[in-house]
Amino acid sequence: MYLLHLQTNLIQINAFFFKIWLITRKRVFHIFEILFWPAIGLISVGLLTRFLDLEPNMVSFILIGVIALSIVQIGQLDISYIILYSVWNKSLKQELAAPITIFHLITGAWMMGVIHSLVVFCLLSLFSFYAFGFRFLDQGLVPLALFYSGLALTSAVVGIIVCALAFRFGGRAHVGATSIVSIMILLSGIYYPVRVLPQPLKALSACIPLTYFLEYFRSLVGFPASIENPLAAGYSLVAIYLILATGAMLYAIHYSKKSGILLKMSE
Amino acid sequence: MIQPAIEIHGIHKIYPATGGNPATHALKGIDLTVDHGMIFCILGPNGAGKTTLISILSGLLYPDAGTGYVGGFDLLRDRRRIRWIVNLASGQANFTDNFTVEETLTYFGMLYGLPKADRKKKADELMGFFELGSHRRIPFNQLSTGLKQRLALAKSLINDPKILFLDEPTVGLDPRVSLLIRSRLQEWHQKRGTTIILTTHQMDEAEQLSDRIAFLRDGQCVRIGGAEELKRSIQFHERITIRGRGLERAPELIGRIPGVSDIRGDRNQVMCRVDSRQKCLNSILEAVLPSGAIIEHIDITRPTLGDVFVALANQSDTDQRVLF
Repeated sequence: MYLLHLQTNLIQINAFFFKIWLITRKRVFHIFEILFWPAIGLISVGLLTRFLDLEPNMVSFILIGVIALSIVQIGQLDISYIILYSVWNKSLKQELAAPITIFHLITGAWMMGVIHSLVVFCLLSLFSFYAFGFRFLDQGLVPLALFYSGLALTSAVVGIIVCALAFRFGGRAHVGATSIVSIMILLSGIYYPVRVLPQPLKALSACIPLTYFLEYFRSLVGFPASIENPLAAGYSLVAIYLILATGAMLYAIHYSKKSGILLKMSE
Repeated sequence: MIQPAIEIHGIHKIYPATGGNPATHALKGIDLTVDHGMIFCILGPNGAGKTTLISILSGLLYPDAGTGYVGGFDLLRDRRRIRWIVNLASGQANFTDNFTVEETLTYFGMLYGLPKADRKKKADELMGFFELGSHRRIPFNQLSTGLKQRLALAKSLINDPKILFLDEPTVGLDPRVSLLIRSRLQEWHQKRGTTIILTTHQMDEAEQLSDRIAFLRDGQCVRIGGAEELKRSIQFHERITIRGRGLERAPELIGRIPGVSDIRGDRNQVMCRVDSRQKCLNSILEAVLPSGAIIEHIDITRPTLGDVFVALANQSDTDQRVLF
């Protein structure tokens, strides 16, 4: 009985993995978002470091930030799109009439997001080595895995928040994704260390998990972190945000069914 | 005692105010009981609350007050369990635009936890049942309206639901496709005994398919019964039209017969309402024939469900007007 229950849940999770896989396969634009823009970002910033004739460790500092941003951006896309596509196609009520939970939805979409971001991570890492001489693997596989996992969880938080916004505000919620990522660019130390931020913004950056994951990995290439254990801080924060984001999404779904927004979005 | 398939009491739904629009009290205390295996039709004018009611029963909308059971599960506490045993199809349904027919059914099969082999078998069975087989690789956005609706119905049966909600399943379809869909639904219902809750504006569809009908108006249930029962509950009158020659005196002669009213006529035709065809028709013929009139044709128009619809939709709470 338990195995049957487990099988059913795995199939339901796989449904959302299948959906995103089909969307990826059928929409060229989606592949653009996953591959093209991150590559352009890396190349342009990498060339900027060359123009500015930066020291190798400074190049490492910046490339770590650029690639981390791409991982978070790509990872959240698949979770966001699992709901946004349904909103844009007005098919949300058909799917929510089925006995699925947000656990199935987020897990299935996030699995595809992890695969996409891992592929892009590998490609960008290879490119950063051949083009700009920086090797991620030099820091060791375990630190790299810890860093990547933190980024993947951060992307899950962003994706879930966008889904919650979609239930509340409909198709315009994808603006939320852009906004959240933009805030991270400004505050998390993507291109510069957070110590250069004005004090009020430094306080905000301390609330963002990505800040600590970046400090952790950069500490391995010669840039000391601002706190003793940035990895623990990053994972603690991301766990809290995962719970809060999931709660926000559950509330948004409840509100959409209470107010009738769900039906309106499907007309 | 076997619990009904659906039993609800005092269901209220108020849509909150949005923008400049005031709050809307869409359902005002609906009580309903639907037995297992029944086809139950919900009729009513636009804005009566039909879609709201179906959405609540299928778990897509939460009521603001009331209690109920769907398939034996509590409407408020067992929502996910209800979703396992129900499914729905609405008119002009939407799916992911570039998924093919087969991919759509596969996807929904997965949402209902069907293992791969069962999913494939079910999808093939439903594509055959609704004549979608030759379109299995066509994306949704390239299907005609009729095919889209057949896909929506196929999807609604993917989990062999105990209770099926159909919200205007034939809206916008041509008569041939509507007839196909109706016959398939009847066939499915006869084979599986699925309880079906149906809303429609097609009166012949309601009359053909349903065992019982509920009429909603302004968020309230004003009548429940079988089609014939509903027709009798409104004081409907049959209309008799006699065509022929020499009928000039017919109105005067017929006017003396009890149970005959609203008489209109000329030398070639006379029309009247009768309380009872059985009682009045013989009396009318006995009155008219001796006057020398020649009767060529007699029409007896029985009230239709559409007449019931119009009557109930227009009726005020205290108005029990006789129609015709």
